[in-house]
Amino acid sequence: MMRLTRMLTFRSIRARFPRFALSAFGIILGVAGLLAIRATNTAALNSIVTLFESTSGRAKLTLVTAEADQGSFSEEILQRVQTTPGVALANPLVIVRTDLADDRPAAGLNLGLFGTDAGGLALHGVVPSLETQTRAYTLTAGRFLEEKPKEYEIVLVEEYARDKELSLGDWVEILTPNGVRRLKLVGLIAREGPGQTNNGSFGVMPLDTAQELFNRARNLDQIDIVLVNPNPDTAELASLRANLQDEVGAKYSVVYPSGQGERMTQMLQNYQIGLNFMSGIALFVGAFLIYNAFAMTIVERTREFGMLRTIGMTQRQVVAQVFVEAGILGIFGSAAGVGLGVLLARGLTRLMEVIMNQGLGSVDFASPDILFSLILGLGVTLLAAGLPAWQAGRISPMEALRVRGKSREGWLIRYGWTLGALLLIGSVVLLVINPFPYDVQFRLGSLTVFGLFTGATLLIPVTVGVWERVTRPIMGWLYGASGSLGSRNVQRSRVRTTLTVAALMVGVAMVIMVRGMTESFASDLRVWMKAYLGGDIYVTSSVRMRSDIGRRIQEVEGVYAVAPIRYFDVKWQTPTGETESLNFMAVDVAAYTRVTNFVFSGQQVNCQFALQRIQQEGTVFISNVLAEKYDLGIGDALRLRTASGYRDFEIVGIVVDFYNQGMVVEGDWETMRRYFHIKDASTFLVKVQEGRSAPQVQNEIDMLYGERYHLTLESNESVRGRALNLMDQAFRMFDVMALISIVVGSLGVVNTLTMSVIERTREIGMLRAIGTTRGQIVRMVLAEAALMGAIGGILGLGTGVVLARILFIGMTTMSGYQLTFTLPPEGVAFSLVMALVVSQIAAIPPAIRAARTRILEAVQYE
Amino acid sequence: MPVLEAKDLRKEYKLGGHRVNALEGINFQVEKGEFVAIMGPSGSGKSTLLHLLGGLDSPSSGGITLAGQNLARLSEHKATLVRRHNVGFVFQFFNLLPTLSAEENILLPVIIDGKDPRKYKERLARLLELVGLQDRRHHKPDQLSGGEQQRVAIARALVTEPAILLADEPTGNLDTKTGTAIMELLRRSCDELQQTVIAVTHDARAAAYADRVIFLRDGSIVHERTADSEEAFGPRLRGILETMEQLEAV
Ligand SMILES: Nc1ncnc2c1ncn2[C@@H]1O[C@H](COP(=O)(O)OP(=O)(O)O)[C@@H](O)[C@H]1O
Ligand SMILES: [Mg+2]
Repeated sequence: MMRLTRMLTFRSIRARFPRFALSAFGIILGVAGLLAIRATNTAALNSIVTLFESTSGRAKLTLVTAEADQGSFSEEILQRVQTTPGVALANPLVIVRTDLADDRPAAGLNLGLFGTDAGGLALHGVVPSLETQTRAYTLTAGRFLEEKPKEYEIVLVEEYARDKELSLGDWVEILTPNGVRRLKLVGLIAREGPGQTNNGSFGVMPLDTAQELFNRARNLDQIDIVLVNPNPDTAELASLRANLQDEVGAKYSVVYPSGQGERMTQMLQNYQIGLNFMSGIALFVGAFLIYNAFAMTIVERTREFGMLRTIGMTQRQVVAQVFVEAGILGIFGSAAGVGLGVLLARGLTRLMEVIMNQGLGSVDFASPDILFSLILGLGVTLLAAGLPAWQAGRISPMEALRVRGKSREGWLIRYGWTLGALLLIGSVVLLVINPFPYDVQFRLGSLTVFGLFTGATLLIPVTVGVWERVTRPIMGWLYGASGSLGSRNVQRSRVRTTLTVAALMVGVAMVIMVRGMTESFASDLRVWMKAYLGGDIYVTSSVRMRSDIGRRIQEVEGVYAVAPIRYFDVKWQTPTGETESLNFMAVDVAAYTRVTNFVFSGQQVNCQFALQRIQQEGTVFISNVLAEKYDLGIGDALRLRTASGYRDFEIVGIVVDFYNQGMVVEGDWETMRRYFHIKDASTFLVKVQEGRSAPQVQNEIDMLYGERYHLTLESNESVRGRALNLMDQAFRMFDVMALISIVVGSLGVVNTLTMSVIERTREIGMLRAIGTTRGQIVRMVLAEAALMGAIGGILGLGTGVVLARILFIGMTTMSGYQLTFTLPPEGVAFSLVMALVVSQIAAIPPAIRAARTRILEAVQYE
Repeated sequence: MPVLEAKDLRKEYKLGGHRVNALEGINFQVEKGEFVAIMGPSGSGKSTLLHLLGGLDSPSSGGITLAGQNLARLSEHKATLVRRHNVGFVFQFFNLLPTLSAEENILLPVIIDGKDPRKYKERLARLLELVGLQDRRHHKPDQLSGGEQQRVAIARALVTEPAILLADEPTGNLDTKTGTAIMELLRRSCDELQQTVIAVTHDARAAAYADRVIFLRDGSIVHERTADSEEAFGPRLRGILETMEQLEAV
């Protein structure tokens, strides 16, 4: 067996090495994509889980206020928590976000699209003895906080201190509501465990200091609770939580500290769905390329296998040889894929970090993941080689005696179309009729991808004749007499034509899908972002801004309107009765509509009316995402927790809003004041008077109030630019994958056309002998490729649109984003032109090869 | 006991609705060490007959006994094994593996059989000497002339010491001089190795090397001519040509 393998398989690989490498390319990419995505996902999830676990330390429960307004609550409750049975320790915290005085923050743009807000400096006011019992700090220099210090003290994360050029003993100047205050840097901690809070921009100071500097009087923001039993099981923890909740009453919420991590985990999913889907397709494309290459090799080696059969090789031996070749390919391809995957994972991780605004640490490659990728790669290869292997086994010895060039058209060509039609109809019906709930459908979706591609592929052979007759005149016109000759050649080996067309089809489908998805998503996002970042100047601050700042800005020369916006978290009761968090976006509707506008979603009849209604009492808008996800509509009630308990708000409009993953409701400024007792603003959108230069006005505001109120001003153009850039980065990954599949598709064209030329050597020689010029031969091959490009382009367009639909269904299911599939006509034109261009470029090497055919040699050929 | 026996062999092809009777009841026997030529005009069924004898295809009816086994009744797999051990094929187109050297091509049947080719050193040396390719043994097919390639094919067919060697127009693709050399080679393998040979040809010169010539026409044996063992090449050839003329006249 080994010797035979060495002689037949190894030599065959060596003789056809380019093709071998080409097919390996497919599997390498598939495996790499899969592994990289798995590893990146794991790293992202792990980092989030560890982040929340290590930053919460030994605390198993956390107490926060249930009131929506300022967030802090009186110290009094501490005693009650402390004495509750089962509680070992109640650790009081003041949590503030500020900045160093000399450190004007980079504009704190938070699209809330992909991740949590980061930036600025997070400071915790702690009781040192209790804090160190709750969380394990790693001191790298100096000492931890003293219980009763004589001066203001602070401990910072070492990396952050180094970044800001602060060393032990320095005075750290921070912004407080009462101006700049100085604290002595007494210790440095490592960026691990609690040091990872706020991405390492973090420090601690004594509780008293924090309360004093940040006007918290005797108030707290949070109490971390360490339990007597350090490792309670779920049931025990739940009952303790219930007890505590009873004990402290409805004014407080007792929550699990890691609960905050769940949202981020969910956010990741959206992106992952897309990537997973893509790598699935990459693997399919890889499998396809392998099938293609093996099928070609079998055609090429038909006589050889036939001869081997005449001299006594059994069917099983032949099949085994093909599988050995596939095995070698699978092993090498998968191994290289793992290597590439490691590299790819690095890039993906970086991208993920940007998107999530969160460091991910190192990516670990778990050996089960690697093993899984290897086995999958090998499995797919063997599977893809299965049909060609089976065909190779069925080559009869008589085949060796036939004159070359006569390839048998098997039952797959003759009867395959019925199967193809069934698959196609089945897939489309499944998609159009929607008989299953969304999530089942998405899972079926991946199967449908295979059904679709396979179905379309099987239909190619029977339709080739029709395609050819329709386009023959065009080919004749474009490429002359030899063009229609080339066009006719397409019909000669329908197997080969099918393989080429299918390769192109998959490539085009990928591009259509990716472009369609990116376009739809990005256009929705752009519309929203334009409104969300309306006006000309975007004003934020790392400390809270009183509403009267808005009035002052309004008075600045050249300002047309100022719209304050305030975001805050609010609890709500879902229609199923659960309590969840939402983001409330409060705007001064009158001012807001002067600066920008809400983007009403769908079949909103009267915007004017909705804008009137929202300014009335007890009304809100909800995002399209919420509406879709919870099946809410205009006139329905939304139950929000206000400062005085739960209250129903009437939904008077549905708007496009992707803030906070779309988990957002919008209300009037007055509504916020009255029901949530909030008065300050998070952001001001400023619109400049017509004819005024926005940069000038921006300068003016900065000069007057920038320093005083610690404002950060940025032109909306630049903010939008950054946001779009962020988005583009997220989508680039998809584009790369689409590009890969086009490359793979074009390699398929090179492959099959070269085969076709080799097979026809004698015929081409004859054509040359009777006076066909080299140019004519080239045109003949190009025409053949053009026709295949056209068929592949059109089929790819069809399958691509359907695939995009599947992907959209998946996205909607998981995230609630209701995307409308938009495929611009220029996209259609582009993909068709691209298919043609790719086919032409790919046809050049085989065409040149054909033109170089030496007449005598070819005619004497056997 | 004959090495090969065909009994009432019939082969019928279905070609787009109508049937073609390629063979219509063939009967004959071949003894060990015999050199038989099959002659006949194009389309008379020579190749079909050879394919049936070698187990490449199965007859519509009738029986073939090769080395004691009825080929017509064997499964595909069994037939393959019979081919592997008992039949050697030589075709008009040489059908060598382009990636293997001459020597490797010759040893291929042994390797396919899972045997150690090193044990076949003597046999290989003997065959290389027989076909006269000792100094070309490491050449690849594309470095060999047509005649040399055909000699490699013959050596390959002989390597397993098959019960029978079947050659279909082995000289059909060669010039006269090279063709003569190939026929002489087959003659020698018969004489020196006691190899049973059946060769299909429509060339009277080639057929003159055989002990017995079977004339085929429209799928039936129309004549058999057994040469006198003392008969020289010239008279043999003349005899064959005369027979052909007679058959032509009928
Ligand atoms: N595979 C086939 N299918 C149909 N008819 C065939 C096939 N092979 C041979 N024939 C027919 O059988 C007859 C004998 O052919 P063949 O044995 O090749 O003749 P020869 O080798 O003597 O030239 C011819 O009429 C030929 O057309
Ligand atoms: Mg013949």
